[in-house]
Amino acid sequence: MKTPAPHPYLPTLVGQLQRQELDRREFLRTATLLGMTAAAAGVLAGLPAPAQAQAAKPRGGTLRINTTVYDVKSPPTATSTAHPLIYSQVVEYLARTGADGVTRPHLLQGWQPSADLKSWTLRIRPGVKWHSGRAFVASDVVWNLTRLLSDEVGSSVLGLMEPYLLNKIDTGQVNDKGRKIFRHEWWSPRAIEVVDTMTVRLNLKAPQLAVPEHLGHFPAVMLFPEERGVFGPGSIGTGAFKLTEIQPGRRAVIEAVRGYWGEGPWLDRIEFIDVGGAETAIANALVSKQVDGAFQVLPDSFAILRNQAHLKFYEAVTSDTAVARMNVRNKPFDDARVRKAFRLAADSQKVAELTLGSFASAAEHHHVAPVHPEYARLPAFNRDVEQAKRLLAQAGYPNGVDVEIVIQQNPPLHLRHATALQSLWKDAGIRASIKTVPNPQYWDIWMTAPLGITVWAHRSLGVMNLSLAYRSGVAWNESGYANPAFDKLLDEAEAMPDPKVRSSKMAEIQRLMQEDGPIVQTYWRKLFTFYDRRVIGFEMHPEYSVYCNQLALSAA
Amino acid sequence: MTGFLAQRLLQYILTLIAGSFAVFVATEFSPGTVSSKILGPYAVQSQVDSLSARLRLDDPLIERYGRWLTTLAGLTDNPMAAKEVGLGLSDPRGTRYVGNLGFSLMLKEPVIDVLADRIGYTILLTVCSIALIVPIAFGIGVWCGLKAGSLLDRVLSTLMAVLTALPEFAFAVGLTLVFVIWLGWLPGTSMMLPGDKWGMVSQLVMPTAVLVVASATYVARIVRASVVETRKRPFVRAAELKGLPPRVVVVQHVLRNALIAPVTVILLQVNWLLTGVVVVESIFAYPGVGSLLLQAALFGDIYLVQALTLMALTVAVGTQFLGDLCYMALDPRIRVA
Amino acid sequence: MLRGVGERPLAATGATILLLWACIALAAPWIAPYDPLALDFSGAINHAPSAKHWLGTDSLGRDLLSRIIFGARTLFAVVPLAVGSAFVVGIALGAIAAYSGGLIDQVVSRASDVMLAFPALIIYVILLTSLGPSLINIVIAVTLAYAPGVGRLARGQVLAIKELDYVKAAQARGDHPLSIIVFEILPNARGPLVVDLSLRAGYTVILTGTLGFLGLGLPPPTPDWGAMVVENTQLLSSHWHMAVVPCLAIVSVVVACNFLADGLRD
Repeated sequence: MKTPAPHPYLPTLVGQLQRQELDRREFLRTATLLGMTAAAAGVLAGLPAPAQAQAAKPRGGTLRINTTVYDVKSPPTATSTAHPLIYSQVVEYLARTGADGVTRPHLLQGWQPSADLKSWTLRIRPGVKWHSGRAFVASDVVWNLTRLLSDEVGSSVLGLMEPYLLNKIDTGQVNDKGRKIFRHEWWSPRAIEVVDTMTVRLNLKAPQLAVPEHLGHFPAVMLFPEERGVFGPGSIGTGAFKLTEIQPGRRAVIEAVRGYWGEGPWLDRIEFIDVGGAETAIANALVSKQVDGAFQVLPDSFAILRNQAHLKFYEAVTSDTAVARMNVRNKPFDDARVRKAFRLAADSQKVAELTLGSFASAAEHHHVAPVHPEYARLPAFNRDVEQAKRLLAQAGYPNGVDVEIVIQQNPPLHLRHATALQSLWKDAGIRASIKTVPNPQYWDIWMTAPLGITVWAHRSLGVMNLSLAYRSGVAWNESGYANPAFDKLLDEAEAMPDPKVRSSKMAEIQRLMQEDGPIVQTYWRKLFTFYDRRVIGFEMHPEYSVYCNQLALSAA
Repeated sequence: MTGFLAQRLLQYILTLIAGSFAVFVATEFSPGTVSSKILGPYAVQSQVDSLSARLRLDDPLIERYGRWLTTLAGLTDNPMAAKEVGLGLSDPRGTRYVGNLGFSLMLKEPVIDVLADRIGYTILLTVCSIALIVPIAFGIGVWCGLKAGSLLDRVLSTLMAVLTALPEFAFAVGLTLVFVIWLGWLPGTSMMLPGDKWGMVSQLVMPTAVLVVASATYVARIVRASVVETRKRPFVRAAELKGLPPRVVVVQHVLRNALIAPVTVILLQVNWLLTGVVVVESIFAYPGVGSLLLQAALFGDIYLVQALTLMALTVAVGTQFLGDLCYMALDPRIRVA
Repeated sequence: MLRGVGERPLAATGATILLLWACIALAAPWIAPYDPLALDFSGAINHAPSAKHWLGTDSLGRDLLSRIIFGARTLFAVVPLAVGSAFVVGIALGAIAAYSGGLIDQVVSRASDVMLAFPALIIYVILLTSLGPSLINIVIAVTLAYAPGVGRLARGQVLAIKELDYVKAAQARGDHPLSIIVFEILPNARGPLVVDLSLRAGYTVILTGTLGFLGLGLPPPTPDWGAMVVENTQLLSSHWHMAVVPCLAIVSVVVACNFLADGLRD
C-alpha cells in the first residue's frame, strides 16, 4: 500500500509552532487530528519521549472498582459516560482521546484526511484479533459504523455524525401523534467505502476536523458482527477482558484474556461494585477498603477521604459542567434581552465557589473551556445588576420575572448551584423557585422545561459541545436555540484546521453566546476520585474513561 | 375452620387486586412513559413512539391493567419479550407462565430474578433483627413493668422514649462515624458480596443495630405498658390474695395475659422489617427489597414497583393472619370469625 | 382533658416543650438573627460557631441558628396540617361507617383494610415520586396513610358509644344524624383519639425528616430539620454540631409528643 501523503496543512502548523504562534498543546492536538502520529508530533513539539508504557508491572490480582452498574445489552445506545466503563474493556474504539486531550488511533493505526477535510482514509491496525481468533478487518468497521448511524439502533453517534455523513429524509408519513416521521440514510453511496481489507475511506458531505474524536465517542464501540449486536457476558471483542457476569444495580465481573494486542492486561480480574444511590456509601466503601477505587467522588466526601492513609487522590481539569438552560420556546426566554439579563444577574465566581468550592473554576456562559484548544480569551463578563434590570424592563418586565428552575435530585451540588443562582438573581428582580425531581424523571422533561440545570460532560473540543447542544434542530438541542448566524459560524469553525484562525472564529461564537445564547453557565468542574495506593497505572480522565488493561496492583 | 380460611383467602386476593390497581393508577401520574424509560433519555422521539405503539401503551388504563393481570396469571404473553419488539429482553422461563411479573424497566431483567435475589437478604436481616428485638424488648419491658415506678424503671423508660424519637438515619450516620470512620471496627457498607474483606457477619452488625434500636425501644414500651396494666387487673389481685407465690403470679397470670397485645406489635415489626426499611438499606447499601423499591419508584419502574407492592401486601395480610391465629391460641375467649 | 395535663408531670413536660417550639415558630421572624434563606457570599463559609453566627453557617453560608428557628415554623406548618387532615378524614369515615352500618360500613371497612395493608413508606414513596414532593402532596400522602387507622379507631369508639342511652334519646328526639355524631358521640370518643393524635404527630415529625433524607421532602430551600441533618452529614467528622443540633430538635419534639401521649393515656 502506498504511503499516504501527509495533510498539506501540517507544515504550516509546524511553522506556527516554531514561531511560537501556537502553543505545544494546540499543536499536538491538531497535528494528531490531521493524521500525524502522537509520537512524531511530540518530538516536533519538543516534548520528552513518553515513558516506556510497556515497563513491566506486577502481574495478577483482583481489583474492585465502585461504579453504577448499568445493563450493557446495547452499547451503541449508552446514555452517559458512566455506561462505558464496563463494556469498553471488552469491545474497543477506533480512536481514543486521552486524558491530555490528544486523540490517538486505537483499533486504527492512523488516518489521513484530504486537504479539504472531506475525505478520510482510515487504516486499520494490523495484528488486532477478535477473541475468537479472527482478525479485525475493514468489513467489521463498515458493519459497525452502518449500525451506529442507523435509525433502528438509535445511537447518539447518529446525532453527532449526521451533519456530515447522512441525509435526513421526510418520509411524508406522520405517526399517530401527528409528528413527522424522518429517516436517515448515507448521503451518498460512496459515503463509506472499503478500499482494501485493512482500509476504510469516509467521504463526507461537509468538511469536518473532528472525525477521529467522533470515532472515540463513548457509544462508538466495535462489536463482533457475528453476534448481531447483542452484547452480554461471554461476548467476543477485541479488548483485554471478557465479561463473565453482570447483575445490573449490583455488580459486574470482567476477566483477563490472553493474547491482547496492546499493553497488558496485568490484572486477573476486575469487579465493578454498585453501592446503590447514596453518595456516602461510596466514601464509606473506600474507607473500609471494600472497593479499591471509585468511578468518581464528589466534593462532599473529599474531607473524609483525604485523611485516609491508604488512598491516593487523582484529579483532572475538565470541561465538565452544568448549564442553567433557558428554553427559548417559552416566555420570557424568547427575548434575547431577558436571557442576557439572567447572565448579567449571576456571578460565576461566587456560584462556582458555593457549588463546588475549590473543585470548580468560573465559566463565561459560552460553553467553551480554557482546556479546549480553540478557546478564545474574551474580556471579563462581570456581574451587572443594574444593566440586568434595565434589559428586563426593556423587554417588558419592569417588575422582574417569576420562573421555576428544575434540577435533578442527585448529587446535592445541583441544589447548591440552583440556590446560589436563585439568591443572586433576586437582586435583579428575577424570582426563581426551585423544583427538584428524581434523576430519571429529569430526562423526561429536559427538552421541554422552560428553565432547568443540565449536566454536560467533557468533550475534547469546544466545537463538539456547541455542535451537540446549540446547533439548530439537532437531537440534543434542549434549549430550542436556532440562530442561523450561529450555525454558520460553527460550520466555518468545524472546517478549520488552523487553531489560530479557529480561535478568532471561536471568539465571535463565544461573544454571540454571551449576547444571545440560551444558557447561564457559571462553572467548569475539576473531576476527581480516590484509588488505593497499591493501584498502578491509573489516571483521572476528563470523560471518566478507565483503561483497565494498563492497571496493576502492587504487592504491598 | 375451612370457612374461615376460605374467607381469608378471598379477602387476600381482593386485597391484592385492589392494591395493585391503586398502584397502577398512582403511577399513571408520574412523568415519562414506559417506552422512554426502556430506551433511555437520548432515544429519538420516533423510536419512542413506535415502541409505545407496539406495546399498546396508549390503550385505556383498564385494558393495560387487565393485560398485566392476565400475564401474571399465565394467560397471555408478556409483550415486551416479543421478538418483533426488539428490546433484547429474555426470560429463561419463557414468555407465558403463571407468576410472570414482567421485566424491570430499570434493570432489563425479569422481575422475578431481580426480586429473588433481594428477598433473601431482606429475610436474613429480618431474622437477625427479630432474634435480638424479642429478647431485648421483652426483657426490658417485663422488667420495667414489674418494677414500675422504681428508679431503674424511670431511667430506662426515659431512655427508651428518647431512643424511639431518634430518626433512623441519624442513628445510622452516627454509628458509621464512630465505628467506620473513627475506629475502623466495622465495614462502611453492607453489600454482602463474595470476596469482600469483611465477613457477612460484620456487615450485618450496623444495619441490625439500627433496626433493633428503632424497634426494640418501641416494643419495650408497649410490653411495659401491657404488664403494668395487667397487674392492675382484678384476677391478678385475686391470685395474689389467694396466697400464690409471686413467681407463679407473675409467670402464669401476669405474663400470659400481658403478652397477648405485644404479639401483634411484634408481627407489625416483622411486617415493617420485611417491607419498610428503606432508610437503613440505602445508607448501608444493603441489597434488600427496601432500597430496591426506592430506586424503582424514583426511576418509574412500574413493573418492579407492582411486584414489590404485591409482596408487601402479601406480607401484611400474612402477618395479620398470623396475628389473629396467635390471638385465638393465646386467649381462649377470642374467636375471630 | 386539660386538667389531666396539669396533673401529670409527664404530659405537662411534653406539652411545655411543644408550646415552647410553637412560640419559637410564631416568633421566628422576630427572634431569628438572619434570614434563613440568605446566602452569605462574603467569603469564608465558617461552620464553627462564632460571635456573628452562634451556631455557624451551613455549606451555602446560611446561618444555622436562623434555619433551626424557621425550621420549627416549617414543622408547625406541615405536621398539624397533615395530621389534622388525616384525622378529619379518618374520623369522618369511621364515624359515618359505624353510625350507618350495613353496606356503607362494609365498603368503608374493606377499603380501609386494603389501605392498611400497604406499608406506609411504600405509600409515601410511590405517591411522592409520581406526584412530586410538595406540601399538598405530602398532606395527601399522610392522609392516605393515616386515615384508615384513625378511621378504624373512630369506628370502634362510635360503635361502642352509639348504643348508649343519651344517644338513643337524641335519636328518639329526631335529631339529625350528623348533629348526633358531632355533638353527642364524638366528644365522648375523644380519649383514645387524642392519644393517637399525639403519637402520630410525633411520628410525622420523624417522617418529614425521613422524606427529606430520601429526597422526597419539601422543596428547597425551605428550612427543614430532617433535610438539614442530611445536608450536613458529611460534616459530621469535622463540625458535628451542624448535623446534631437539627437532630436534637427533631428528637425533642418527638419525645414531647410521646410524653404527652403517655401522660394523657395513663
